[in-house]
Amino acid sequence: MPWVIAAYAVTGLVLLGYALHLRVARRAALRDQKRRG
Amino acid sequence: MVSAAVMLSVVAALAWLLWLAGDVTGRIGTARWVGGLALALVPVWLLLVAYYAPIEVAQGIIQKIFYVHIPAIIPTYFGFILSAIGGVLYLRTREDRWDQLAVAGAEVGVLFCSLMLVVGPIWAKPAWGEWWAWDLRLTMTLILWFIYVAYLFLRSFAFGSDTAKTYTAVYGIAGVGAIPFVYFALDLAQSATMHPTNPAREGLPAEMGRTVGVGMLTFIWIFAWLVAQRLELASLQARALVASRAETA
Repeated sequence: MPWVIAAYAVTGLVLLGYALHLRVARRAALRDQKRRG
Repeated sequence: MVSAAVMLSVVAALAWLLWLAGDVTGRIGTARWVGGLALALVPVWLLLVAYYAPIEVAQGIIQKIFYVHIPAIIPTYFGFILSAIGGVLYLRTREDRWDQLAVAGAEVGVLFCSLMLVVGPIWAKPAWGEWWAWDLRLTMTLILWFIYVAYLFLRSFAFGSDTAKTYTAVYGIAGVGAIPFVYFALDLAQSATMHPTNPAREGLPAEMGRTVGVGMLTFIWIFAWLVAQRLELASLQARALVASRAETA
C-alpha cells in the first residue's frame, strides 16, 4: 500500500507543482505588462 | 466505449489546442471549461481505482500503480506529436504562435514522460525487487525523455532567437521518430524484456480496462489544460520581450 500511495502522491504533487509554477509565472508576466503600461 | 471516448478526446483536445493557438489571448477563456472537465474527471478516476478496479491476484495491491503509469503515456506521445505539428506549422508559416505551441507541447510532454519514468520504478521496486532494469522499453523511454529535455535546454539557451526556433522545430519533428521505438520496443525485444506487454493488446478484464480508460481521459484533459496555460504564458512572455526590445531601442 505505501508504494501505491507514493505513486499517486508523486503524480499529484508534480502536476499541482507545475500548474502552480505556470500560475505564478503568468501573474509575474501580467504584473510586468501592467508596469510597462 | 471508453476507448472510443479516449480516441475522441485526443482528437477534440488536438483540435481545441490548434484553434486556441490561433488567438491565445482571445480564446483562453475556453480553458476554464477544459480545466473544469479535467477536475471533474479526477475524483471519478480515483474512485474507480480505489473501489471499482479489482485487486489483481498475482501482484496484489501494487498493480493499482498501473492506473497512473499507463495513462501517462498518452499525454507523453501527444505532447511530442503536438510539438512536431507546431514545428511543421512554424516552418511553413514562420508565425510565433506555432513555435509557442511546439514548445508548450514538448514541455508538458516531458512532464508526463518524467511522471511515467518516476512512477514505473515505484511499481518495479516491490514487483521486480529493483528500481530499474536496462531493458529495451525502459531504455527507449529514457532516451525519448533525454531527446525532449535536450529540446527544452536548446530553447532556454537561445530564447527569442529565430535561428533557435528553426533548429528546435526541426529537432522536435525528428524527435517523434523515437516514439515508434518506444511503442514497439516489446516486439523488438521479443521475449528479452522484463516490462509487461502492452495492456491494450493483451486484453485487460473489463473493470481494469475501464479504469485505465478513465485514467487516460483524465490525463488527456489535464494535459490539454496545462498546454493551454503554457501557451498563454508563452504569449505573455513574447509580448514582454517585444516591449523590452522597444524600450531599449
